[in-house]
Amino acid sequence: MTAPRSPVPTAPVAPVAAPPVPVPRVPAVAPPEAPASRRKPLRSRLGPYLLLVPALVPIVVGLGYPLVRQFVISFQEFGLAQQFGRPAEWVGLQNYVELLGDSYVWGVIARSIAFCLVNAALTMVVGVALAVLMTKVGRAARITLQVGMLLAWGTPVLATMTVWQWLFDSQYGVVNWLLAEPLGMESMRYHSWLIEPLSFYGVATVIVVWMSVPFVVFTVYAGLLQVPEECMEAAQLDGANAWQRLWNLAIPMVKPVLFVVALLQIIWDLRVFTQIYVLQRAGAPTRETHLLGTYIYSLAKEFSMAGAMATIMLVITLGLTTFYIRRMLRQEEV
Amino acid sequence: MSAPVRRRRPSAGRRLLGVLAVVVALVWVFPVYWMVSSAFLPTNRLRTAEPTFFPVDGTLSNFRRVFADPAFLDSFRVSLAVTALTLAAAILFAFVAALAISRFRFRGRKTFIVTILVVQMIPAEGLFISQYQLLDGWGLVNAVLGLTIVYVAAILPFTIWMLRGFVSGVPIELEEAAMVDGLSRTAAFFRITFPLLAPGLVASGVYGFLQAWNEYTLALVVMTDPGQRTVPLWLQGLVEANRATDWGVVMAGATLVTVPVIVFFLFVQRRMSAGLVAGAVKG
Amino acid sequence: MTRVRKGGVAVMAAALVAVSACGGGDDDGGGGSGGDEVRLWLSGTDTPQELRDYLVETFEEETGATLVIEEQDWNGLVPRLQTALASEDQTPDLVEIGNTQSPTFTYAGAFADISDLYEEIGGEKLLPGFVEAGTVDDTVYAVPYYSGARAVFYRKDFFAAANVQVPTTLDEFAAAAVALQAANPAGKPNFSGFWFPGQDWYNGIAWIFSAGGDLAVQEGDQWVGALSSPESQAGLAQVQQLFSSATAAPRDADSEEPWIPFNNGESAMFSAPTWARWSIDLPECNKGVDPEDESAEAEALLAEQQACNEEKTGVFPLPGNQPGEAAAVFAGGSNIAIPAKSGNQELARDLMRIIFSAEYQTMLAENGLIPGNQDYAGALGDDVYAQAALAAGVDAKLTPAAEKWADVEGARILEDFFQEIASGTDPAEAAAEADQLISDTLN
Repeated sequence: MTAPRSPVPTAPVAPVAAPPVPVPRVPAVAPPEAPASRRKPLRSRLGPYLLLVPALVPIVVGLGYPLVRQFVISFQEFGLAQQFGRPAEWVGLQNYVELLGDSYVWGVIARSIAFCLVNAALTMVVGVALAVLMTKVGRAARITLQVGMLLAWGTPVLATMTVWQWLFDSQYGVVNWLLAEPLGMESMRYHSWLIEPLSFYGVATVIVVWMSVPFVVFTVYAGLLQVPEECMEAAQLDGANAWQRLWNLAIPMVKPVLFVVALLQIIWDLRVFTQIYVLQRAGAPTRETHLLGTYIYSLAKEFSMAGAMATIMLVITLGLTTFYIRRMLRQEEV
Repeated sequence: MSAPVRRRRPSAGRRLLGVLAVVVALVWVFPVYWMVSSAFLPTNRLRTAEPTFFPVDGTLSNFRRVFADPAFLDSFRVSLAVTALTLAAAILFAFVAALAISRFRFRGRKTFIVTILVVQMIPAEGLFISQYQLLDGWGLVNAVLGLTIVYVAAILPFTIWMLRGFVSGVPIELEEAAMVDGLSRTAAFFRITFPLLAPGLVASGVYGFLQAWNEYTLALVVMTDPGQRTVPLWLQGLVEANRATDWGVVMAGATLVTVPVIVFFLFVQRRMSAGLVAGAVKG
Repeated sequence: MTRVRKGGVAVMAAALVAVSACGGGDDDGGGGSGGDEVRLWLSGTDTPQELRDYLVETFEEETGATLVIEEQDWNGLVPRLQTALASEDQTPDLVEIGNTQSPTFTYAGAFADISDLYEEIGGEKLLPGFVEAGTVDDTVYAVPYYSGARAVFYRKDFFAAANVQVPTTLDEFAAAAVALQAANPAGKPNFSGFWFPGQDWYNGIAWIFSAGGDLAVQEGDQWVGALSSPESQAGLAQVQQLFSSATAAPRDADSEEPWIPFNNGESAMFSAPTWARWSIDLPECNKGVDPEDESAEAEALLAEQQACNEEKTGVFPLPGNQPGEAAAVFAGGSNIAIPAKSGNQELARDLMRIIFSAEYQTMLAENGLIPGNQDYAGALGDDVYAQAALAAGVDAKLTPAAEKWADVEGARILEDFFQEIASGTDPAEAAAEADQLISDTLN
């Protein structure tokens, strides 16, 4: 792996076409790290903090406080009655003990982790592949693909989930029709896709990947655009083929973006809610198909339980991502 | 533009890839196509033994009924206001924060980075009660501004992270070279790095736009006044407008709701295709 | 490029100004408590416009105050009530709530005590199951607004072709459904004698109720699941028979839109709330009228279409164990209550009195809803739909009035349970499991 500060074997060379660029050759001397903060006046030392203030205020108020409250509530008995004024009772770790003592909850956790890893991996592979494809095609094809992705991403979920439900409907589903009519698989004509948990998760995976890939494509494509053209051309002159250029040059350079996107996919797929919720309501056996998101929701009237479950989910997510986070922090040290 | 370098003879391989891209786009768009196609059909033809793939004998009636609904334009107005305000605030705040954490070294920086990451890992399903109480205390329930505040808070951590990734993607050597030439750090950042961030800003902007435009759960509790509905609330209302849902009308409504998303994207996508060379040249 | 960016900033700045102005304006208008404005939250579209106008006018005449009606969607109503009812500034002064959601909020203390009003607005005449759902320890908090019953719709031509008569008992119903299924008079590959999808517990519990069983019963201060009781099991045996030999409906489907296969000619019977008559749309009757066409000609055609549909379809209340009896079907409907945090308690009570006045109750009935006060159900009319609704409505039964019943529905325990029955699982085994889950959830 390459540290982000020295990613480019062929450092930005002088542009071929020599336009009036304010980017001169890279100086051989490494500039001072952490530009000498001690000597700067106070105003400059406060600078970064001032830059953070506008972001911090809404986060602390709109998100931080509710999150802390959710955490506090997880140690109380807090339901709808408390919402209407009945005093909340402190119960210590009871909510956690109750949840973690239930073997069903462990099953839900295991399923969620498996679902999350499969979906995040599939989404990343398909998303990165399509992003690379976007850099390789002409403008018309690229915009077609972009708009297609955007439609999948930006159409109201209410409508797309209804359509997906129709597509996989047992009696009138287009999927079954296509399998039965043009493909001649008569046994599939009234196939129930949602009744078996494994088949249910298969359908859910198709939908989740379909909805998540566009985000990956857009972000990674934006990242790939940052790779200086000059580097690619220099590498090409050095005889690197397209695959080598991609793998040894472009991918390492967009690593920070890939890292963020992968992390977010893991976070989001672990708490996947809407797709599972709608499919359950379309006729799947609920208890056998719960993932953490829908399970928390089914506890939602017991706010304290939902809070405890949220904390447990945080721990799981941290467990799944510690490796990456530590690696990232180590890079920050450099 | 990058034209002179990139636009060489379109090789056979490149054309093949172009075809592949279009095919992928068509497959991906199929469910959305099904929505649009359904919008042209009367409800009694939506779910039948023989699916209708092309609404050749379709009707515009569903669309006309959407436009006849006065709540449609009202909800559009509310959603546009919320989305524009959210987007402007989130991008601006996130951008300066990303600048701070990727180009300055200061005490508490790492804590901040880890905190905004961890914040995103906590399921937020149970937060709406506290958020509602906050807004209620400030008299901001049923107000565009109130909804915007919670949206900005929800989108910011992600946007900061995203932009930070993009800032890190720009080799710091480029800036430092400019500093050697006598520019201040801030000036170097804005002259050199900022233009390179255009694609990242666009990607984050699209994300923020979609989040604010399509969010349902918080809007549901914050905007209870029928006159302050956002677009997703209005759409849900269409589902219940009659005792038996008229799905053709819902699909027509959803199709129209998607239009601003596409318009917004086409408006910003030029920034995305510009890429490094163009940015560096003009910056 | 620079120009573009500046333009963008300008647009954003303009939006900021416009929106802050807009946000500021809302502040003074917000809230609703205090002053002489009373806000009523009605759920869904069941209350016709005519009735809303009546309420607004009458309320103003009688009290001099203004009534504002805000319609809320059923979907998402619970989170809205969880937040708004707890806020003194935002709470409506009167609220309509689903009958199965009613115990949850009543027990939580969301509503004001209206026991002293109970006799005045109807007392014993109010639908008893609904009153029970709004009562805690003999204190009344929520009272019935309206109820809607379920009835069975059938295709007359299919009945004739299969030589089946309208059933008069539950056993005959099962026999008819099986005979129709076997005869397949429509000649469709996936024909259902009775459309009965796997998760359709709303219809399925009628067999449990009619056999004398229940979903859960109170023992001391505990609720226990009652699906394993001999009565419930007897009903479930019939249910399983229907699933196995009277329907081709998917196991992975719920009670939504049962008229679709009916309209497609793929089922001979379905059970639904009586308003489903407006959703029956047989292709042979369809005149292809544009729904937004309001010309006299179009309306005439639509009337003709509806007449054609209603001529080809019949309706009957699901029969009970003996001829002449109706089955105990599930009653849908809603309650109405005054939020405890409302600052307009007196005006809200005045509005409550108007809602339970003879005039308004009669208007509800005239619009096809079984009114909260049974005395006025006679105004439902005498067509077959009204009669079926009335017959079914009299014996209709609610889900248990347990504080946490909404959690049982939220966890979809009954959907899963009926799906198991549809899949051929032994009813005793499935019931034992479901009873355990219900008991755990309710206590």
